[in-house]
Amino acid sequence: MHVRRAMPMVAAAALIITACTAPAASPSASEMEPSATENPFADVPTVVCVGEATTYLDWLNGDLQPDVQDPIEEPADTAGDLLETVQDRGVLRISTDANYEPQSFREPDGSWVGFDIDVGSEIAERLGVEAEFQHQDWDIITAGSWAERWDISVGSMTITTDRKELFSFTQPYYFTPADIGASTRSGLTSLEDVPFTLPDDAEPVTRPTDANCIEDIAANRPEFDLFITSGTVIDAATEAGQPVVRISDPLYQENLAVAIDKAGPDHDALLYEIDQAIGEMHADGTLTELSMKWFDEDLTQDPGG
Amino acid sequence: MTVAVGTPEPRSVVAQVEAAQERARTAWRLKFAATWVVLIGLILIGLGATGNIDTGFISEWGPFIVGGTWLTVLISVASISIATVLALLGAFGRLSSNAYINGVASLYVSLARGTPLIVQILFVYLALPQIGIVLPAIPAGLIALSFNYGAYMTEIFRAGIQAVPRGQREAAEALGMPERLIVRRIVLPQAIRIVIPAIGNEFIAMIKDSSLVSILAVEELLFRARLVGQQNFRSLEALIIAAAIYWILTIAFSQVQQRLERRMARSDR
Repeated sequence: MHVRRAMPMVAAAALIITACTAPAASPSASEMEPSATENPFADVPTVVCVGEATTYLDWLNGDLQPDVQDPIEEPADTAGDLLETVQDRGVLRISTDANYEPQSFREPDGSWVGFDIDVGSEIAERLGVEAEFQHQDWDIITAGSWAERWDISVGSMTITTDRKELFSFTQPYYFTPADIGASTRSGLTSLEDVPFTLPDDAEPVTRPTDANCIEDIAANRPEFDLFITSGTVIDAATEAGQPVVRISDPLYQENLAVAIDKAGPDHDALLYEIDQAIGEMHADGTLTELSMKWFDEDLTQDPGG
Repeated sequence: MTVAVGTPEPRSVVAQVEAAQERARTAWRLKFAATWVVLIGLILIGLGATGNIDTGFISEWGPFIVGGTWLTVLISVASISIATVLALLGAFGRLSSNAYINGVASLYVSLARGTPLIVQILFVYLALPQIGIVLPAIPAGLIALSFNYGAYMTEIFRAGIQAVPRGQREAAEALGMPERLIVRRIVLPQAIRIVIPAIGNEFIAMIKDSSLVSILAVEELLFRARLVGQQNFRSLEALIIAAAIYWILTIAFSQVQQRLERRMARSDR
């Protein structure tokens, strides 16, 4: 009688144990060598993952328009400029997406760290104000119309022709290669192994940020094995033990700059001051030093000349 | 009347039955508790057996995620307070014989209940700036949550006011009490006593729904869990931590709410 009453509980327990232990078995299956057929990569899906609102998606869609910043001249009249507001406040409010190691991420004590964070802090210091970082989803930052919730973006934003409609850009503070990463389970080690033509035959799939693409692969989701992001992000993930590998020579170079919302208040003076600060940081080696610190290589020299 | 020797007295029979019932209740509670302990233990053991749980991550990042709890509670308390005020106004509007006032209140309830909460949150934060109303993330979240819950609670308050026996109002009228005073002194105190347990229920639901404001990058529990989980590729641990805290919070407030309910019911006996 008692035993019979306990049966449903035992069954439930058995179910839970099975459910919990089952996933442990699957990673080992994915680590199996691909069977020795004629093309070992034939099963690699044609789907390529990219972050929403990124130039990587533009590249996949064939409408990437890399661009350079417009010349920035010292404005004659600075009255009522955003620069005044920032100086009066004593705080420069900087937005960035915190899910983008090694550019910007968080420490267990809640503090912000990363290359973009160091650059933003340095800019604020050279303007004589405090830096205040706030997290915003990348698609919200790149949509423009910030409604004055923050002053500038120091979030590794690539200058493109479309974005110049929405934003004023400073000179680039560094340059990263856009790269293709693959899951280690795919066995791909070189772009030449990819069993279809990129970008023409690829089907784009988006996640909120590029980091989410890596997250999906790490979770062993089957939808895609390829993704595009900055080479620095792929390297950081590989180093952190994630099952991804960088397989391409750079697809193209990204000019990454500070952006200010054109829909916001006048900001000619702020743009000029920040551009000057970045120029100085290039000249005095600060940016090179920060690049070595976070990327182990100097990404601050313009590869285009 | 004589009682046969050897048969127990009636009172002691009652006592024995009561003692037996008490023992049965205790045994039932023990079995109930054991079921919980065993099931939760099995889940934890099962998770541990996968070998995919990183305890180092939990001890390193746990405090950061848990640090979002106070904001979750703060948002819930603030939103339920504003919602209560809205609901009170809404309830009188819905009970008003004035067609315009009733129309306004009914439209509010219909709009707020007929659209998803997440749409309302995004609307306040992302859509209103286009017409010049710019709110930081936390106030935007508070407004959307109170707007939504205020509508649901309007119906609770309306029911509470209607549940006050008609005779109470009539008696006050018979004594010549003015309408305003009847509402304030007779109807409201009794209505509030009726709705307080229901507000407790709404508050528990609010604790969970407050997680929706994480999409505005408000650094409450869920936002922190998602950020940390994604950044470190440890969503399993991060979301378990967040879920556990929500669970503990709702259990704790359910206890408070049950006690409140019993207390409020006392004078009804």
